[in-house]
Amino acid sequence: MRTKFRVIAALAAMLASSTAFADQKEVTVWSWFVQSTMQKSIDAFQKAHPDIKVNFTYYNYSPEYITALKAAAASDSLPDVIGLQPGSLTQQYREHLAPVNELAAKQWGADWAEKIFPVNRKQMLMGNPAGDTNYYIVPQESQVLTVWYNRKLFEKHGIAVPKTYEELKAASKALTDAGLIPMFQGAADGWQNENVFLMLANQFAPGIVDKAQAGEVPWTAPELVSAMKAWKGLFDDGIFQQGALGAHAYPTGAQLFAQGRVGMMALGSWWMQESKFPPPLSEYVQNMDGFDFFYLPAVPGAKSASPPIGGIDIGYGLTKNGAKNDAAWIFLAELTNGVGLQEALNDLNDLPAFAGHEPKGDVTEHVKAMSARFMQDLPKAENQRFANPAIAEALDNALAGVASGSLTAEAALAAVQAAADKAAGK
Amino acid sequence: MTLQHLDVQPAMPRIRPMALRRYRRSPLAVAGRFAFVLPAVLLFVVFIAYPIVWVAGSSLYSKNADGVARFAGLAVYGSVLTDPTFWIVVRNMVLWGVITIPVQMLIGGLLAYFIERHTTTFRGFFRTMFFLPVVTSVSVISLVWVQIYAPYYGIAQEYLKHVGITLTYSPIGDPSTAIYALILVNIWQWTGFSMLMYIAGIANLPTEVLDAARVDGAKGWRLAVDVIVPMLAPSTKSLLLLGVIGTLQTFPIVHLMTGGGPNRASEVFGTYIFKQSFVLGDTGSGAALSVIVLLIALGLSLVQIVFLGTRMSPAKGGEA
Repeated sequence: MRTKFRVIAALAAMLASSTAFADQKEVTVWSWFVQSTMQKSIDAFQKAHPDIKVNFTYYNYSPEYITALKAAAASDSLPDVIGLQPGSLTQQYREHLAPVNELAAKQWGADWAEKIFPVNRKQMLMGNPAGDTNYYIVPQESQVLTVWYNRKLFEKHGIAVPKTYEELKAASKALTDAGLIPMFQGAADGWQNENVFLMLANQFAPGIVDKAQAGEVPWTAPELVSAMKAWKGLFDDGIFQQGALGAHAYPTGAQLFAQGRVGMMALGSWWMQESKFPPPLSEYVQNMDGFDFFYLPAVPGAKSASPPIGGIDIGYGLTKNGAKNDAAWIFLAELTNGVGLQEALNDLNDLPAFAGHEPKGDVTEHVKAMSARFMQDLPKAENQRFANPAIAEALDNALAGVASGSLTAEAALAAVQAAADKAAGK
Repeated sequence: MTLQHLDVQPAMPRIRPMALRRYRRSPLAVAGRFAFVLPAVLLFVVFIAYPIVWVAGSSLYSKNADGVARFAGLAVYGSVLTDPTFWIVVRNMVLWGVITIPVQMLIGGLLAYFIERHTTTFRGFFRTMFFLPVVTSVSVISLVWVQIYAPYYGIAQEYLKHVGITLTYSPIGDPSTAIYALILVNIWQWTGFSMLMYIAGIANLPTEVLDAARVDGAKGWRLAVDVIVPMLAPSTKSLLLLGVIGTLQTFPIVHLMTGGGPNRASEVFGTYIFKQSFVLGDTGSGAALSVIVLLIALGLSLVQIVFLGTRMSPAKGGEA
């Protein structure tokens, strides 16, 4: 009798649990976002919404993620939520994405877009056809580009934070003489070259790259030519390491920087997360004790030091498949401006895209201070993104050509202008 | 027995046509015969023919500035063929094939010959060691070689500094040397495969022919060049065919080490198609390039079949 009762009880429990599973909604998510951080965000979300299960698939960005997206879009099998970068990537999948304007207004109020930092808001609309004011991407994190330096090495070798180009050259020489890499540039990576070029171009004329993208000034404008020559100067003046054109920022540069073999590196606010990676961590990375940042000093002929440059680090889009699943928006909202975002911030992954958030938990005063400085700079940041991938690609080639000495600054920028004309259908 | 057997043979033609005629009359039986090839045909259509037709169709469409696809016909091909990058890619592919295929075959053949003919105890060890790069992840190989090439802080520099040499540039960062630096990595990775193919060929060599050659006084260089190399022709033909196909499929090493740069200097068909299709979102030109690569592969395969024949393995009975 007792055995029968146990069997019946077990069956009832199984039935109940299967009913619970049947009631649970599912959301499918694809992204290249750091797996460990994403898992924390998902765990926090699922704790807050036990009726929703998130199936997350991680991909390396290139080639896996962009290839998977393309194949899924062609077969109309995109997941509910996809990781996006503003501009070209979002535009490539615009026809597969649902506008989020109404959902966001319902969730966060009619003025929701005002809570997003201006540079992010600008990037959210980047590349939309004329008259299309829909938002197809909700930003999760922002970034500010800067020059990080190893303050312990600087102190050890008596180097002050450079405020002029001559001081930057002197600092690079002192580091080189000490057997260290002065400023590591992964010039085999187009993205790092673009970032430094944006720092330079905005020294000569703030916002000029945006104007060139919009066709308001030519890519061959004197300010951009000067910036391109200054870019070459960073190689010729011994500021970048020798052989930079064959080097990658990740993993090579980042590892050397973390190990204390590099004095400076042009990265972004995301570098803070290095201190949250699993041990063993170097003395420099531990609590970010060894690092601080400055903006690139004015190069010869420039008006000022580089302004903050940045924008959306990563955002998410609701696919048309996801628009049919109520749970998908709930997850996207929490990931970008709720419990999911808070977990990412606590992991120091980067800065928030919406105002009003800050990292909490196990964060040192030094990191909090740096994060606060970035947050002060973010509202006035210049745009770092390109609306058209063909222009970004042409600029990457131009920068590599000039750096290697195979192209003059003028010829390289003429090639970018030609790519811009072709993209505009001229 | 033999005579009886021969006597039966002439009767066969009288019986067989009638049997075949009866067989042909049954559509069910005919359908039954075709049913056996249906799975293979279906697999071919779904996984090979349909994608090719789909890509060929896509190659006739181009996106305008608003991202809307429109029928452009052969204009897409015209645009691809007049792009200077296409001809950089063609030059790189020619260099890749002309250098890697013979060098891999030569070094692989020499390794196979010396391992098979002049080692006994460590034969397995050498075979494994030289084959190891073939089964190593391309990601690992790329990372290691980027570090080897790095001046100033790289692996090669660590050794070279002991003899007073300081590397001042990275060969993969110089447009004039990038493609050769990548070719070297490819040779390092794939020579073990050529070695393995030649080891298989040498193992299949008929001992009686080698013995006869030795009796006739052939030995050393003469034996290798005049007897062994001709008898290894099927392995060489296979390697040539696989080398051409491998050249056209080159992608991961270039993508991971240089991304086709600097300034397109090491672009190959794989990276170029990838960029056009997936990075720039220009599916039309990516598809057109894929069709061009397909036609080149088809043409080169036909040329090889016409000039070198189709037999890729030694015939039974020791025919070479």
